[in-house]
Amino acid sequence: MKLKRVVITGLGAVTPMGVGVEALRAGLAGGRCATVSRRDEWQHFLNMHSLVAAPGPDLNEKIVPRQNRRSMSRMSFYGHDAARQALADAFGIEATWPEHFSPGRLGCIIGSTTGSPIALSQTFEMMLPDRDIGKLNAVSFFQCVSHTVAMNVAQCLGITGSVLATNSACASGLQAVGAAYDLVRLGRQDAVLCGGAEELHPSVTGSFDVLFAASARYNDAPSETPRPFDRDRDGIVCGEGAGILLLEDFDRARERGAKIYAEVLGYHTCASGDHISQSNRAALIRCLSQALETADTRPEQIDYVNAHAAGTVQGDAEEAATIREIFGDRVPVSSLKGNLGHTLGASGPIELIATLMMMRDNVIYPTLNLRNPAPDCDGIQHVTSTISRPMDTFIKNSFAFGGINAALVCKKMISEPALKNHG
Amino acid sequence: MDKQQVAARIATLFETEFEIAPDRLLPDAHLFQDLGLDSIDMVEMIVVLQKEFGIQLRDSEEARAIRTLGNLQDFVFNEIVKSGAGASPAPQS
Repeated sequence: MKLKRVVITGLGAVTPMGVGVEALRAGLAGGRCATVSRRDEWQHFLNMHSLVAAPGPDLNEKIVPRQNRRSMSRMSFYGHDAARQALADAFGIEATWPEHFSPGRLGCIIGSTTGSPIALSQTFEMMLPDRDIGKLNAVSFFQCVSHTVAMNVAQCLGITGSVLATNSACASGLQAVGAAYDLVRLGRQDAVLCGGAEELHPSVTGSFDVLFAASARYNDAPSETPRPFDRDRDGIVCGEGAGILLLEDFDRARERGAKIYAEVLGYHTCASGDHISQSNRAALIRCLSQALETADTRPEQIDYVNAHAAGTVQGDAEEAATIREIFGDRVPVSSLKGNLGHTLGASGPIELIATLMMMRDNVIYPTLNLRNPAPDCDGIQHVTSTISRPMDTFIKNSFAFGGINAALVCKKMISEPALKNHG
Repeated sequence: MDKQQVAARIATLFETEFEIAPDRLLPDAHLFQDLGLDSIDMVEMIVVLQKEFGIQLRDSEEARAIRTLGNLQDFVFNEIVKSGAGASPAPQS
């Protein structure tokens, strides 16, 4: 069976930098850190040590028709906005996308850590005090389910192809892109909107806090955290937002004269099978190596590694060891979480989109807040200030609780409209 | 609470819950065809009315005959009277 070539033809993002891909690019180019204090909002939670977060923008939710809006939470609005951006980016006018696909040939795969944590919290607050099911409203379940973003986006846009949700915490979004790649590569879908979406909630930050994985030492200096790969890193800063990409069959994209950001060359996902919360360099090495093999790409052909590095003590060290093992110190490496915080299941696609912008602009943004590379993160080529250089091929890495890893390899495709778009 | 007050409270609920302009909330407005509600809205409406008036509507057979806003207002008023939840017949003029 001949596999299809798969290309990226549309991008959409809602991030702590604002609404849109350009806001994301400008925020990164300006070296902005999106971390802010959450002391006023969260200090009334007992034993919450991490009082920082990277919040996303408030959207005008009323633009969504009421009967779609009622089943949507903040993360679904983020996913919906980003998906519409991606369609508008790919087809000029978002609403024209059905002209390009037969029914059932456009899919939607959007991952997140859980269903809406805000809705989950509200549901239990309504139900549990009196153990009264009659207190529940009719629609909160549609916000709580694990596939809430994927199904709401598909409903809003009228998508009738494969609708899936990848729920693997911080690897959710990159797994969604990988699953989309597989569906298009196998010819089962002509194109797939894919990515991740998340929303902030104290229960989310608190879950990392209780595991000693959330940043707690910079509550009075929020812009100093997170600090990926840094000697003084102390954990993640939870963020929110969505990143959505349109992956499309290359032949179809070329036929309609689409602008093409990149070709997806390869992907792999695997698990460590040995620890529920700690990442494992052997499994990470296996994941990145297999992604490179799938891409028929040698490590020396990679121009940039966009690391997952969230600023955790254990995870950053394991990832640095992985990169050192595969790439040595020859390849520039940076993590964008110093800017964006950790948008969990949305982080993979958001950072993938940012990397596509870097590839377009021949620039590599540094790891913000990396001042003193930690000895256990040494031996790789850390990017500590913006580098201007061409980038043709990169690998994007994500990993998550459960020992789950995902890695995606992309290569530039020269396409004039793509170079001109997004300012 | 008299029938007019019940009707007014239901109209207010329709404005807030279903975002329907007051000038469309006429007694003979069909809930589905004129006001644009759907099956999920009907479930939500029962939940909201139960909370608002402290009555149980979910298992009512009579509820199945409701078609218009006026039907609904009459139905809820009658249920309030039956349950003794604080309604009183409208004053006779």
